[in-house]
Amino acid sequence: MTALASQLVGGFIGTLVLTTMLRGASEMGLTRMDLAFLLGTTVSVNRRKAKAIGYVFHFVLGLLFAFGYAVCFMVMGRSSWWLGALLGVLHALFVSIVVVNVLLPAVHPRMGTPDTAADTVALIEPPGFLMLNYGRNTFLVTLLAHIGYGAIVGFMVRM
Amino acid sequence: MRRDGYAPIEDYALIGEGRTCALVARDGAIDWLCLPNLDSPSVCAAILDAERGGSFELGPAIPFGASRRYLPNTNVLETTFTTDGGSVRVVDAMTIPDGGLSPMRELVRSVEGVSGTVPMRWRFAPRFDYGAQRPRAEWRHGVPVATWGGEAVAVQHWGAGSPAWHGDAVGAHFDIHAGSRATLSLATAYGEPLIFPRQPDVAARLDQTIHFWETWSADRRYDGPWSDSVIRSALVLKLLIFAPSGASVAAPTASLPEDIGGERNWDYRFCWIRDSNFLIDALLQLGCVDEARSLFWWFMHATALTEPQIHVLYRLDGGLGITERSMPLAGYRHSRPVRIGNAAAGQTQHDVYGDLFETAWLYSEGHHALDHDTGVVLARMANHVSDIWRQPDSGIWEVRSGACHFTHSKAMCWVALDRAGRLAARGEVSSRHVDRWRREAAAIREFVERECWSDGLHSYTRSAGSRDVDASLLMLPIVDYADARGERMQGTIDAVCRLLRAGDFVYRYRADDGLPGGEGCFLNCSFWLVSALARAGRIDESTALMDRLVARANDVGLFSEEIDPERGAFLGNFPQALVHLALIDAALAVREAERS
Repeated sequence: MTALASQLVGGFIGTLVLTTMLRGASEMGLTRMDLAFLLGTTVSVNRRKAKAIGYVFHFVLGLLFAFGYAVCFMVMGRSSWWLGALLGVLHALFVSIVVVNVLLPAVHPRMGTPDTAADTVALIEPPGFLMLNYGRNTFLVTLLAHIGYGAIVGFMVRM
Repeated sequence: MRRDGYAPIEDYALIGEGRTCALVARDGAIDWLCLPNLDSPSVCAAILDAERGGSFELGPAIPFGASRRYLPNTNVLETTFTTDGGSVRVVDAMTIPDGGLSPMRELVRSVEGVSGTVPMRWRFAPRFDYGAQRPRAEWRHGVPVATWGGEAVAVQHWGAGSPAWHGDAVGAHFDIHAGSRATLSLATAYGEPLIFPRQPDVAARLDQTIHFWETWSADRRYDGPWSDSVIRSALVLKLLIFAPSGASVAAPTASLPEDIGGERNWDYRFCWIRDSNFLIDALLQLGCVDEARSLFWWFMHATALTEPQIHVLYRLDGGLGITERSMPLAGYRHSRPVRIGNAAAGQTQHDVYGDLFETAWLYSEGHHALDHDTGVVLARMANHVSDIWRQPDSGIWEVRSGACHFTHSKAMCWVALDRAGRLAARGEVSSRHVDRWRREAAAIREFVERECWSDGLHSYTRSAGSRDVDASLLMLPIVDYADARGERMQGTIDAVCRLLRAGDFVYRYRADDGLPGGEGCFLNCSFWLVSALARAGRIDESTALMDRLVARANDVGLFSEEIDPERGAFLGNFPQALVHLALIDAALAVREAERS
């Protein structure tokens, strides 16, 4: 398998596992976070359509992040499942603190922010620090899912 | 007139901007302000402890009289102080951010001399964390700043004297002449640097805020009687909606007593599922379509962690961690304990299922089709209701005397299954279990009609087998369980009037509820009586009662949770969403009855 193919396959399988873990946690009542829903509602208010679009967004992002992981592995000169899992921890922190908590509300047309006032009607509550507004276990679930993603990508990627 | 440092509850007016609110007393003191959000700890809580709670006073330094109003169709308060030397107008508002760099939250107090010369004084004594934390008093470039932990509050001042810190309070005296102006701006920050606004920016934001409220009010659709009260209620409700999430608090205050000196003091700064059907209905009827959709999305999102079980109340961020604790505050007129948090969160109340299904039905009726996922969740909830309706619960009034088979709870379970069936017929909820829902709904009705009816009282009863009535029974025609013109409902209305009514007001019940002390009359019950009378075709009675009730609002059109039927004094948290929602529903019911 070429390096590019390994990144694509690793990214796809990693995202599949990550998505399944997040969805499973949601079904088990551990979190109200739904990344596909959050991403998809940037372009549609139809909840079902939004989720479908969101899954596509999420898989594209999963593949892009796999390339990012590959770059990190190249810089470090090695790759392994545990190195990937370690990057997964950083990935989870980046997603929870920066991407979903700060960047997404800034560009999401339907998500509230702590600054949303009476002149704006938000449809989706803001995620809050570490996305804790979506349930106390949200960060833990996100962390585990991204460790799983990182481990798979780290295992699959060939230098 | 204050007594022991406490103003009457009816002396307060509410200002806000969708994230937090402040209560302004007739004498110009802000005695309740939580920052940065409605459910955050207070910075001003003199209403709960006149000595240690903290306040922001502004008014004449000599004896005065005061009259006030909201600027027409706004949530901006105007107080006119009249003294022997002249008069002065103070405009209080929490500003809505503009496109520029504005403070995280901003409270503006604009002073204008109307006639003569009036000596004025202001004093800001912040006490963070419900009065527990004295501030660190500092200066930043001539601006007094109070800080504690991650919180900071700056008092920008223009033409309002030369302030000085006296201990941990800052204030100044100044004279205001006819035509002259002064401005105070409370700029606040939480976990970020303070923004120090410039005076022209503050003035522009105040103008823009007034314009926003005027525009918002102009967009409301209501052409029936008592339109001023209905629009004022809509404006109050808009202040109680927490804009970042779309959730709505039951009231912006905590622990204002149901009985002066008593212990029935609760924190209402949470979102009750119970208010949802009234709120969705009111929002849709008044043309607040965006707010209705936002609220419904929030409900489905908040309940996602616990469905098919629903909790009674949720935090504004959708969370469930609501611990009730007593605070070391003196309490409003020594009404202790001062509770923060609400233990009702842990109760089982079956009526909330009916409330949520009625909300979904009204939302759907408002031409907002439910999506597939919501339909799946609602179907699971309907199955859950089929499983649990035979069990006792704590009921709509959240009694602490133990679970009981409350009539209202059973009827609301019927509402849940009835609306589930209606939604299934419309294809918005899976019809797989609809036969079971119909069967269980019929069983509930049979139970209520057999076990919750008293031939002796000629009325539905408070609970199965009891000999008491309950004001919540007035809800039965409102939620379409019973025909208001039918014999049983007419008898129930008469029994409520006979046994619970005190003049124009209605006690919610007279039975034991597991708590010591008394309480006033819940004002929402009086408006429910108006609605029930109107639906029963007793239009003259309902109209006359409504006329008298709306006249009992305070001078700026607000209602608290309860009223003392003898003295007319307000009791309980203020202003209360459910009362204003019941007012809107009553006005709509009378309008509908008159038209039909």
